[in-house]
Amino acid sequence: MRDWRRVKERIFLAVTSILAMVAVAPLFHIIASVAIRGGGVLYRAGLDFLTSQPAPPGSSMLGGIGPALLGTLWLALLTSAIGIPLSVLTAVFIVEFKDHPLARLAKVFTSSLLEIPTVLIGMLVFLTIVSMMGHYSLLAGSIALAIVMLPYTVSYVERAMEEVPRTYREAGYSIGMTRSQVVFDVVMGIARRGVAAGVVIGLAKIVSETAPLLFTIGSARSSYPMSMKDVFEPGDAVPLLIFQFAQTPYQNWQDLAWGAALILTVIVLALFAAMKLIVREVHL
Amino acid sequence: MDIRALLFTPALIVLLLGLLSMGSNGRDSVSLQGEGSSFLYPQIQAWASEFTARNPGIIINYNPTGSGAGQSSFLKGVVDFAGSDPPLSRDVWEESWDRVVQMPVVIGMVAIVYNVPGVDELRLDGEVLALIYLGVIEYWDDERIRALNPGEDLPHERIIAVHRSDSSGTTQVFTLFLHKSAPDVWGEDLVGKSIEWPVDDTGRGIGGKGNQGVLEAVRSNLYSIGYVEYAYAIKNNMKTAAIMNREGEFIKPSMEAAQAAALGALDSIPDSPDGDWSRAFQDIVYAPGSGSYPITSWSFLLFYKSYNDPAKADAVRRFIQWINVEGQAHIVDGYIPVPAQVRQVNLKAVEMIHG
Repeated sequence: MRDWRRVKERIFLAVTSILAMVAVAPLFHIIASVAIRGGGVLYRAGLDFLTSQPAPPGSSMLGGIGPALLGTLWLALLTSAIGIPLSVLTAVFIVEFKDHPLARLAKVFTSSLLEIPTVLIGMLVFLTIVSMMGHYSLLAGSIALAIVMLPYTVSYVERAMEEVPRTYREAGYSIGMTRSQVVFDVVMGIARRGVAAGVVIGLAKIVSETAPLLFTIGSARSSYPMSMKDVFEPGDAVPLLIFQFAQTPYQNWQDLAWGAALILTVIVLALFAAMKLIVREVHL
Repeated sequence: MDIRALLFTPALIVLLLGLLSMGSNGRDSVSLQGEGSSFLYPQIQAWASEFTARNPGIIINYNPTGSGAGQSSFLKGVVDFAGSDPPLSRDVWEESWDRVVQMPVVIGMVAIVYNVPGVDELRLDGEVLALIYLGVIEYWDDERIRALNPGEDLPHERIIAVHRSDSSGTTQVFTLFLHKSAPDVWGEDLVGKSIEWPVDDTGRGIGGKGNQGVLEAVRSNLYSIGYVEYAYAIKNNMKTAAIMNREGEFIKPSMEAAQAAALGALDSIPDSPDGDWSRAFQDIVYAPGSGSYPITSWSFLLFYKSYNDPAKADAVRRFIQWINVEGQAHIVDGYIPVPAQVRQVNLKAVEMIHG
C-alpha cells in the first residue's frame, strides 16, 4: 500500500517535471539559437555593429544597427518620461480613491488595455498624433509605447500598494501625516520594490515591442537621432529593424536581424534580471 | 531620495536634454520620408544609401508597411513619397492627378517554385496552375502536367499547393495571371490580394506568411508548389518552373523575360507621369510579345507635384533624376530595371515638381 503511494508520487513528479521542461524548452531554444547565430554575426562585425548604418541589401558588407539602437534608447527614455509618472500616479489614484467612479473606470480601462492588440494602439496614435504633426516621429512612438506600458506597470504598482498592511497607514495618520505623505512616504516607501519592479517590467515590455511602432516612427534607418530636436523627426527601433529585415531574402540583412535580436535579448534579459533582484530583496 | 522626485527623473532628463539642444540648429540636411510596398523596400534602401553618398545632405527613409498603407499615408500627407505595387486606382487618380505623379521604377516577377526531387525542368501553363490551385489536378503525374512535360519522369504523388496566408500584392499578380490566362477555369472572383483558395478545401493547400513563409513551406514539404517574388527564388536557389506566355512559349523568370513583358505592355502606358497608370498594372500581366515572362508586375513610386519646402522639392527632383539615370546601375539582385522608354516618361516628372 505504502509503496504504491510512493510510486504514484514518483510518477507525478516525473510527469510534472517533464511537462515543465517541455514548457520552457522553446524559450531556451530561442535564446540558444539567437545567441549562436547572433553571436557569430556580432563577432564578425565587431563594434561597428553598434554604430554604423545597415549596408545595402545583398551586398557583402554587413553594416550595423546604429540608428536603430540610438532610436530604441530615445524611445526608452521618452517612454519613461511619459509612462512612469502616468502609470504610477494612475495606480495611486486607483488604490487611494477606490470608490471614486473615475478610479473604477481607470481600473477597468487599464486592465482592458491588456486585451487590445498593440498594433491598434499604434493605429490610434497614427490617427491622432501622427496625422496632427503631419509626419512620423520618435515622440509619436513613445506615446504609443507609454500606452502599451500603462496596464503592466499599473497592475504591478497597484498590487504592491495593496499589499501594504492598513496598520502602517493608520500609524502614519496618527502622527499627523498628510494623505500625500502617507501615500508617498509610508506606503510607497514600503512598496518601493514592487513599484520599481512594475516600472522595470513595463520597460522590458516596451523595448521589445514592434507593432505600436509600425505606423508611428517611420523606420528611418538612415538618420541618427542625436538631440531632443530629432525626437520630433522619424526614427528607428531595434525590434522594428529585426521584423522588417528578417522578412527579406538578403543574407546580410538577415544577419543584421540575428545580431540585433541578440542585442535586444540581452537588453530584455538584463531588465528582467534587474527586476528579479529588486523583487527578491523584499524586507518589510 | 524622495519617490515623488524619482517618478519624474526621466521627464527631468528629457527636459534638460531639450534645453541643451536649444542652441543647436538640428539637422542641416533635408530628409525625405517614404512609405509603402515592402517588395520595393530593399531596392529603395539600396538607392537611398547610394544617393546619399553622392548627395550628402539628402537623407531618404522608407517605412515598409505595404502598398495600401503607403498610398493612404501619402494621400493624407504624412509622407513625402510612396512606394506601391499597384498604381492609383482610376477613381483615386481622377481625384488626385493634379497633385500627384506616378512612375514605375522596377519590374517584379512572381516565380513558381516547386519541390519535386528528380524534376529539374518543369513547364506549366496558366490553366494547369489554375487547376492545381483549384484542387482539380491532384497528382504530379496528372496527364495535363505530363502533356506539357514530355519525357520528364513525374512521380505519382499528391501536389501540395502553397499560397500566401496574408494579404499580398504577390497574390494579386499571381491570381490576375491565372484569370487572364485561363478565364474559364479561374474566375474573376478569385482575383485579389487575399482570396479563399479552393485547394484548401481538399486539404492539399498550405498558407505561408510572407514570401519567406511560402518559401519555407515549399522547402519543407516534398511535392509542393508555390509562388514567391523572384528575389526569394534566386536568393534561395529554388528551382523555378517555365511558364507558358501569351505566345505559347515556355519562359523562366529572368531579367530579359521581364523586360520583354514590359515592352509588350508599353502600348498601355500613359505619356506623362500624371497620366492614368491603372491599366498598365493589368496589362503587363500575361503581356503579348516573344520571350516575355507572363507573371510580371510594375512597382511604382508616387510623388507630389508640389512641396511646401523648396529644399524638399529640389531633393525630390534630384532623387527622381538619379534613380532614372544612374540608379539603374544599382539594381539589387532580384529586381529588374524598367526599359528606357519608360524612364523617358518618368524623367518628365522632374519638370513637374516645384517647391
